[in-house]
Amino acid sequence: MVNSENTKAQMRKGVLELCILSILSQGDAYPTEIIEKLKETKLVVVEGTLYPLLTRLKNTGLLTYRWEESTSGPPRKYYMLTEIGTTYLKELHLSWYELVDAVNKTINKQD
Amino acid sequence: MNKTVTINISGIIFHIEEDAYDKLSKYLSTIKGYFSNADGGNEIMSDIEARIAEMLQSKTSAVKQVVLMSDVDYVMESMGKPEEFAGDTQDNTSGTHGYDVEPEEKSVKRKLYRDGDSKVLGGVCSGIGNYFDFDAVWLRIALLLLFFFAGTGLLLYIILWIAIPEAKTTAEKLAMKGEKADINNISKAVKEEAEHLKKRMEKYGKEFQNMASGSAPRNAAEKTVDFVSDVLINIGRVLLKVLGICLVIFGVIFFLGLSGSVFGLSFLSDSTNGSDWIDMLLMDGKDFYLGLTGIAIFVGIPIIMMIYAGVKILFKIRYTNRWVNLSAGIVWLVGFLMLFYVGVRTGGDFNKTAKVRETITIKPYETLYLRMHETAINYDELNISDRDEEGERNFRIGNGRNNDYMIGNNKGRKYLLGHAQLNIIKSQTDKIEVVIVKEAKGNDKRKASERAKNISYMISQTDSILEFDNLFKVANADKFRAQDISVILKLPVGKTVYLDKSLENVMYDIENVTNTYDGNMIRRRWTMTANGLKCVDCEGLDEDDETYDDYSTNEESEEQVKINVNGVNINAKDAQIKVDSNGVNINSKESKLTIDENGIHVDTKKQKRK
Repeated sequence: MVNSENTKAQMRKGVLELCILSILSQGDAYPTEIIEKLKETKLVVVEGTLYPLLTRLKNTGLLTYRWEESTSGPPRKYYMLTEIGTTYLKELHLSWYELVDAVNKTINKQD
Repeated sequence: MNKTVTINISGIIFHIEEDAYDKLSKYLSTIKGYFSNADGGNEIMSDIEARIAEMLQSKTSAVKQVVLMSDVDYVMESMGKPEEFAGDTQDNTSGTHGYDVEPEEKSVKRKLYRDGDSKVLGGVCSGIGNYFDFDAVWLRIALLLLFFFAGTGLLLYIILWIAIPEAKTTAEKLAMKGEKADINNISKAVKEEAEHLKKRMEKYGKEFQNMASGSAPRNAAEKTVDFVSDVLINIGRVLLKVLGICLVIFGVIFFLGLSGSVFGLSFLSDSTNGSDWIDMLLMDGKDFYLGLTGIAIFVGIPIIMMIYAGVKILFKIRYTNRWVNLSAGIVWLVGFLMLFYVGVRTGGDFNKTAKVRETITIKPYETLYLRMHETAINYDELNISDRDEEGERNFRIGNGRNNDYMIGNNKGRKYLLGHAQLNIIKSQTDKIEVVIVKEAKGNDKRKASERAKNISYMISQTDSILEFDNLFKVANADKFRAQDISVILKLPVGKTVYLDKSLENVMYDIENVTNTYDGNMIRRRWTMTANGLKCVDCEGLDEDDETYDDYSTNEESEEQVKINVNGVNINAKDAQIKVDSNGVNINSKESKLTIDENGIHVDTKKQKRK
């Protein structure tokens, strides 16, 4: 039996970076907000995945963050895109559409 | 009713049920284990904790104040298993970014744990085997072999057992067999650290350039602090690794030295071993065992702690067994007290000194031949193997006079040997006497003089030959109590002594008229005068001693006694006796006797004159 769950997880993982950057391109957000948006689209199964990814993106210089006090809990880390991040996202967008196009073509041909 | 624990997550205080707390803290430490070695691990960790705090906060209210097991389950479910998401960091690094992204460290770096699942004793060997990727059997065999080297194997095993934590949780077991750290040996690990440091430096170098091209000054200051601390931390890491290696290596060497010198498990050197000396110094029974244990603990504990610290540094083991340091300290203190007690008791036995004199009257001869007794001891019983250049046994240990003691061992019965001293002084009477002064120390005068009397030392006379033992013997039961022997030969005025070469090491500052050094007094005749010893046959001789080692039949050397395969040859100042293949030939100033193939022939100068 082929484990389709695993393949699906791998696919989600691959586009997670693009999704996070896209969400942040719509406005600054703190992790919980990002997670909620991702959950709406069923892109994230477990929340834990997000944190190492955010840290990595921040360390690569694509993201940066600021602290904001919260009335109801610990201070929140609001992430935002850097200039590099914005250009990087544009590139990703392009290649994403190319990819989707190519994949769709391939799939449709086989049908 | 359930007990609750108060915890602080991300600065928010929660009351949490005890079992829920256990589960949560285990969960957090598992996550921590995954990220502890990853770049920005601490940051990820605090992000996750902040999120957990938020989640728990949404689960509690003024009415429901306590975090329950179900809440923790909820948190864990939505956060996911660490195995699921921690892999992310590394999976994505291989992605093709358009930017210069430095590769991140692997999330689950292999860590050293004891492997309880495939253990024989404590899982030390299997754990190390896991770490370095080899079969634990070899390590077990190696340690077993090392056990026979003064128990080093056992000691190492126990230290490792204490230092290395056992893999208990699933995460720890995963880390134990985890992502193969590219460390095949320790030197590589050091190199790795250095490389890491270099990379960091380059990275910061770039950042500084960026900074120079104008960015927020606050940011710059922050980065400078970051940079300095990071560099220091990394230099520290490299140094720490080196320190760890040194600690372990020196620890093992010191331990071998200690067990070798103190316990007589000497395979490193064949010199007199320390336990003999401890035995000779300390009172029998309780004191001896206390002293030996005391030394072992006093020196051994620091050595063990050295190896322990080294292992912990090398394998980055943060886990600490709280009792280890405390109990090591206490045991060390006990060892110190043992030594102190034994030291005070032994020191007390050196309190009083006693001298015992024995006077022996010597049969008078005009000339006494003095020499050293050569067979006083069996040198093979001594633990000395070094010989000097001439192939003679070197009896001296140390250079100071106080160190001139040796320990002999006759079929398990130990004895102490010391060097006797010989002095020659003027006798006030007309008798030739030898005074043997025996000296020893003890708790009181009585014990000291008893010890002094027990020193065995011999002199013997055969006609005009007087032989001195060069060494004196003390039985082990009497212990080393600074025993000493000095022999004084009292020589009346007019008597002569001949000092044999063998006396060289026994003579001690013998006063004489010409202030000749001891070493130059040998092979000479010395006559006692009113002013002191005076050399009889030194005239015309230079300091050049070497000519006297020349035993060839030299007509110039006027006085010589020689017996060898050729016969007997005695040369005196005014006479000569010669027995060889030609017959017997006796010559003197006045007469001559010859026995040869022609018969007996007597010739006197008086006859010639007639």
